[in-house]
Amino acid sequence: MAAAIETKKLTKTYKSRSLGAVNVVDELDLHVEEGEIFGFLGPNGAGKTTTIKMLLSIIYPTSGEGWVLGREIGDMEVHKVISYLPERPYYYEYMTGLELLMFYSSLFGMKDVERCKKLLERVNLAGDASKTISQYSKGMQQRIGLAQSLLNDPKLLFLDEPTGGLDPIAHTEIRDLILQFRDEGRTVFISSHELSEVERICDRVAIINRGKIVRQGKLSELLHGGRFEVIAENLDRSFEDTVKIPDAIVSYANGRLIVDMPEGEDLNALIDSIRSAKGTIVSVIPRRKRLEDLFVQTVRDTNQGAAR
Amino acid sequence: MKKRSVLLAALAALFLVQAGLHAFAIYPRWKRDYAPKTAGQSATGLDPAQFLFALVGFKEFIAGILWVRADSFFEQGNYDAVLPLIRLVTWLDPHQIDVYATGMWHIGYNFTDTEQRSDRRYIPVALAFGAEGARNNPNTYELFFETGWMWYHKIDDNYENAVRWWEEAMKRKDMPPARKNLLSPAYQRNGQIQEALNLYYKLYDEAVERAKKDNAFGNLQIRDTIERNIDTMLVRMVQRGWIAQQKGYYDQGQYDTKPPFDVGFSVRATVEEPAVIRFQGTWNVLPVGTRIRVVLKDKNMPNDQPAGMIWDQGSAVDLEVPVGLTFMQEQLFVRNRRFDKRVDMSNDRTMYPFKAENYVLEFYYNPRSAPPHIQDKFGYNGEGMTDKNFLNTEVRPGQRVVFARLELTRDQILRRGRWMDEVPFVQTSNYVAPNVRQEKSDVIIVPGILAN
Amino acid sequence: MRAIVAIASTTVGEAIRRKVLLIILLIGLLFLSIAPGLGGLSPRQETTVLTSMMLGILQLTSAVIAIVLTVYLIPTEIERRTIYTILSKPVQRWQFLVGKYVGAILALGLMMLLMSGVLLLTYYLLQRDVSRLGEIAKAPLFYFVQMSLLAAVAVFFSTFVSPLVNFFLSGGLYFIGSMLNTIYDTFANSPTTNPAVKAVASVINVIVPNFANYNIQNPIINPGQQIQNPTAYALFTTAYGVFYILILLIGAILIFDKREV
Repeated sequence: MAAAIETKKLTKTYKSRSLGAVNVVDELDLHVEEGEIFGFLGPNGAGKTTTIKMLLSIIYPTSGEGWVLGREIGDMEVHKVISYLPERPYYYEYMTGLELLMFYSSLFGMKDVERCKKLLERVNLAGDASKTISQYSKGMQQRIGLAQSLLNDPKLLFLDEPTGGLDPIAHTEIRDLILQFRDEGRTVFISSHELSEVERICDRVAIINRGKIVRQGKLSELLHGGRFEVIAENLDRSFEDTVKIPDAIVSYANGRLIVDMPEGEDLNALIDSIRSAKGTIVSVIPRRKRLEDLFVQTVRDTNQGAAR
Repeated sequence: MKKRSVLLAALAALFLVQAGLHAFAIYPRWKRDYAPKTAGQSATGLDPAQFLFALVGFKEFIAGILWVRADSFFEQGNYDAVLPLIRLVTWLDPHQIDVYATGMWHIGYNFTDTEQRSDRRYIPVALAFGAEGARNNPNTYELFFETGWMWYHKIDDNYENAVRWWEEAMKRKDMPPARKNLLSPAYQRNGQIQEALNLYYKLYDEAVERAKKDNAFGNLQIRDTIERNIDTMLVRMVQRGWIAQQKGYYDQGQYDTKPPFDVGFSVRATVEEPAVIRFQGTWNVLPVGTRIRVVLKDKNMPNDQPAGMIWDQGSAVDLEVPVGLTFMQEQLFVRNRRFDKRVDMSNDRTMYPFKAENYVLEFYYNPRSAPPHIQDKFGYNGEGMTDKNFLNTEVRPGQRVVFARLELTRDQILRRGRWMDEVPFVQTSNYVAPNVRQEKSDVIIVPGILAN
Repeated sequence: MRAIVAIASTTVGEAIRRKVLLIILLIGLLFLSIAPGLGGLSPRQETTVLTSMMLGILQLTSAVIAIVLTVYLIPTEIERRTIYTILSKPVQRWQFLVGKYVGAILALGLMMLLMSGVLLLTYYLLQRDVSRLGEIAKAPLFYFVQMSLLAAVAVFFSTFVSPLVNFFLSGGLYFIGSMLNTIYDTFANSPTTNPAVKAVASVINVIVPNFANYNIQNPIINPGQQIQNPTAYALFTTAYGVFYILILLIGAILIFDKREV
């Protein structure tokens, strides 16, 4: 499969008076496959928007290379088949929804009213086509934003914090639209710090902190490596000492034994030994790793590394 | 990169094109046709602070405030402060006709020394100022008239220019009828007798029409005045033989202007004290009203002209008057055929700096400036006047004037060196001390005007 | 081309809805319509002063509108991030810049047209004289070229300075440019000026955008002056304006192309 986005040592350096030269994006190597929803994660100021702007040649890299849909960044041709929804965008408020779409479509050299109307329908704004943008709610503005990003039937969409500042219902609507995009075969590049959203829809993620990618991979692989919690009753306290599982945390309280052990160790052996000691298994709970844990852990690790 | 260099080349080419277009095609046309008529002269003489001050802010508003201030300086006699202010006010608001008129008058008349002689070094400035005002306000007669008045009355020696400016004023519709009459005496003094008469006739017809339409007192008065003026003038022209000259029988008749009368001019200038000169001399005209002009000025001064200077020094209002130049002009009044006048220049060193080594004294009499009863004898061009020693037909071409020239050095005027104790004086060779009695035959006799 | 037209038309749409511009325009219109009552005019000065005052109001208002309109033209787009949605489309930066500029001068033209209409109407109502209306109407046309040049100056500066700095920079340049011929005259024609200063004045005279060339109101205010070949003058000054606008726009594009937005 071809890469939708590829960067090699992409770097953006800003000169700051107090800090000197700061690499906002530091030798970034990014790889996004076609047809996937890619989550680009990182805390505020990590360099997410800077990376997107470089990919769209709104700003220029200090060094390194990048390709979007196989074309070097800066090539205007590729702009015909990509689209971008910036974070908290503003639209010309005096225009109606339909006028706004007509304006953006004219930037592609198109003049297709029917298509614009269909897109309004698609984002559920058909009834509000003649309202001006100033009368739109935030969720409606975000939906019209998505509609404009679909004008050119793009192969690749850049969505910067697409659900930022929206209420839960609007969240769901946007999320459903994004999932539809993938089903239509589009590549979606989402930059976000709202992990629960990304966790639900992304195929792959990259975590960026201080301009560097610190984790990149399939969500299922990154979240691989959970733990089990086994709780048993009617056991002697001395049983505690017989549990010899590496990296396990064993505790005994109120006649209950709690074993917190890594996935991959022999769970069955533990259960067998509990049963042979006439103990009662109360629960066996698999605890999968959550993206949030991974994120917090990763960011903390890199920050400590940087501090050292 | 290639695209950028193409753009840069285009930029450079366009830059040259615009520069050429402006410098060669637009600027000269703008200057000729569209420039505010103050441009060019406007800023000269203003110090940079005033210039900058004028560049910002509300022009007319500031002009108004400044004019109030200038007026208070006039009252204090602080003319050095006034000049730049007037300049600034008119530059800010070139349509302030009154500021031009009064400003010009102040500049021309009011820079006076302790003996009330005005500083004539400022006259070219006043003239240029008037001309600028007229250029900026071409729709009204006022500044044309005021500038003409400066020539007619203040300079009083070059009526050609007075005529020129007043003819311009006449072309403006708003000139009041009473003022139009003045052009006729200007014509006369310029020797254009026929034009003077024609104008009177024309104005008379107009006045009659006006009086018919509206017999207000003012209208009747103007009509009657013109009528009287025409009568008097015709009588005079007959007596002086002008009509005879026009008809060609002047030689045959007895006219007041025949034969030319010898005025017997002589003068002695004595430096009585440093920068104080006493002028004594003779002039054989008994009727009162003779004023002989005396000018003391740097020898070889720029813009020199006998018995004065070239007053019209171009249209640029240059507030930088030649401060190093000494130029004094005074009138010597004749009483009982003699004049005796002490001119004190010792108290006004800014007006009379005496920086040059050598000075000339010029004595000048032109019948054109004389009162009518004396002109009756001498005529407009001096045909009825002569002087054995000092008749001059060159300093004012076409006119017979009396002109004499003496010289003094700075040391003499300021009583320095050997002149500290010795009293310097210069005199014409024919000068005779006043105790010698004059012959009665020297007296002018004009029949009908003065019984002797 | 369609992109430029689209950007220009949205710029017009935005501009004619901007409150601050509408307020300036309203003040200008108000002053124009009450101009006859402003100065206690004496009859002899009435025509002269009225014409000059009204043209002055028109020019000043247009200049303020031109500057206020254009200094925010690009920065607002960046601040509101509309520029990102536009530049992520297949729109070249020069197209964006030209579109914004064309829109700005179209909006300016509309507003000036309105003011000129009010000016001519006021003049007519007061003087009941149609014979000079054509002559007076020439001035706003020259002013329009002047204001387009001013707008180009502001657009050029807006590619690299902040709006507030730009306001004073463009305003200052307009001021100097309007006095340029007079200032140049002062130096070039004064016999006392040092030759080096004269040379500098000549260089500045051909470098700085010259707004003074469009101040043609003097013969209009003082009729009776004979103008030789006004058509040639109009052509030359328009060509000058177009060339200088091109210079500024190319300069703006060169800078804006490298600019990080």
